[in-house]
This record gives sequence, structure tokens and C-alpha cells, in this order.
Amino acid sequence: MATDQLSATFAALADPTRRAIIARLASGECSVTELAEPFEMSMPAVSKHLRVLEQAGLISRGRDAQYRPCRLEPAPLKEAADWAERYRALWAQRLDRLETYLQEMKAKEKKHGRQSRRK
Amino acid sequence: MAVSHVANSHTFEVTTPSDREIRMTRLFDAPRHLVFEAMTRCEHIKRWWGCLGEGYSVPECQMDLRPGGKWRFVNRHPHGEAVFYGVNREIAPAERIVFTEIFEQFPDAESVVTATFTDEAGKTRLTVSVQYPSIEVRDAVMASGMDKGAALSYDKLEEVAARLAAM
Repeated sequence: MATDQLSATFAALADPTRRAIIARLASGECSVTELAEPFEMSMPAVSKHLRVLEQAGLISRGRDAQYRPCRLEPAPLKEAADWAERYRALWAQRLDRLETYLQEMKAKEKKHGRQSRRK
Repeated sequence: MAVSHVANSHTFEVTTPSDREIRMTRLFDAPRHLVFEAMTRCEHIKRWWGCLGEGYSVPECQMDLRPGGKWRFVNRHPHGEAVFYGVNREIAPAERIVFTEIFEQFPDAESVVTATFTDEAGKTRLTVSVQYPSIEVRDAVMASGMDKGAALSYDKLEEVAARLAAM
């Protein structure tokens, strides 16, 4: 399995709880306890998700042994968002090309009556 | 971002209804049978699919449009060639096609593509849903780069990206 940053980012994001954690951290850093609150999950379960996010480089943890606030690391997410935008743009461009080509097909069909249409 | 002047460009949407799926939809100013033909006949496929500009072409196209029939497209691009192939499963002309798709670089990663054609206010809505066998396969395909892939929870990502941009 590929271990490049983009794969690591998408693998880490392939979980609704982790995406919710990311969304929460987008509005500012917070403690593990604060993060655990809305999910009705045990602290070890939340810690496990945080470890996955940390290993993927999506978040970092403070040094304070007691508090260790979590914060978002925007660079890998930005890369993933850029990738998704390129993907979207590629398909938008492909289907724009199809639309343009369909107009050519339509014009041809009009010219030749219904001949080109399969019976 | 550049604004496209092609008709109906703004109707294009990408969503991820589930972690293994990506869905794209767009309206076209053409009847269903024409959109279907453009997508299933090589003489047409060669004229638009993967033709993104200078240096892009479709030098090879094979399409056996029957259940069980094989298909194969080669897309030449400025950095080389990308080969896609698969087997057609269901063909309902101008309504729905279901086929498997493999990107040659990842022969184990077979996706199932369902394309539906529906009438909408005198236009045709094309909806393409790509289903991957697992998150791992989808991630591998995604990581392969630009020519093929699925965007995981793109809508969620967009939401996060928007928040990041506002930070």
C-alpha cells in the first residue's frame, strides 16, 4: 500500500469520527477531554483516533504532559483539498468537452434528419 | 478558478454518498439517446473523452456494447498513456449502463460504474456513480494521481478547506 502523504491523509480521513475531530479543530485547538465530549466515546477510543491523525501529520499535540492540546496542521489537508479540486476540475473539463461535442452531434443529426439515430 | 463558458458547466457536482463511492452529475443540452451514444460509441468517445487539449488523444478505443462485452480505452496525454478497461454488465440504451472499470496501473482495483440518463426540463441529466471494493483500493487508486480516482468525502473536505481558508 502506498505510504505517500496524500494516501496517508485520505486514509486518516476515511472515518466520520476523525473527520468530525478535524472539523472541530478547524475552529481552534482543544484538549482531548473537550474533543471526546460530543462523541460519547471513551477517552482511549478518542486517543486512538488522535494517534491516527497525528501519525498522518494532520494534527499535532502540545508538549505539556497533562494538557497536550490538539491542533490542526493545515498543510496536508490543503494538499488533499487541492487534489480533490484538481480531480473535480478534471472531470468538469471532461464533461464540458462532452457538452461541446454533443452540440456538434446535435447539429449533425438535425442536418441528416433522423438518419444517424439508431432504429 | 477559471469560469467555464460551456453550457450547463455550473450544473456539475461531485459528491461522496459513502466512503466507497463517488458520484458525479451534470446536465447536458441534448436528448438522452445522443448522450448515450456519445458515451458508448468509439467514433464519438475518441472525440471527447480524455481530449483535454494539446497533447491529449484517444489512440485506441474498443467497445463491445453487450452484457459481458469488453471495453478498453487508451488515453494519450502529455506525460504518457493511461489505459482503462473493463466489462459491460448492463446496457439499457439511453437509460442506464453498468460496467466494471480497471485502471491498468492498479489491476486489482476494479470499480463498478453506473451511469444513468434522465430527462430534466428538456435536458439530459447524466449521473455517474463509481463504487470501489474497499477504502484501501479507493485510496490506492486516488493516490495514483490525476487520471483516475475518487475523492473521499470531497464535500467534507471542501467544508474543512473552507474553514481553513477562513482561519
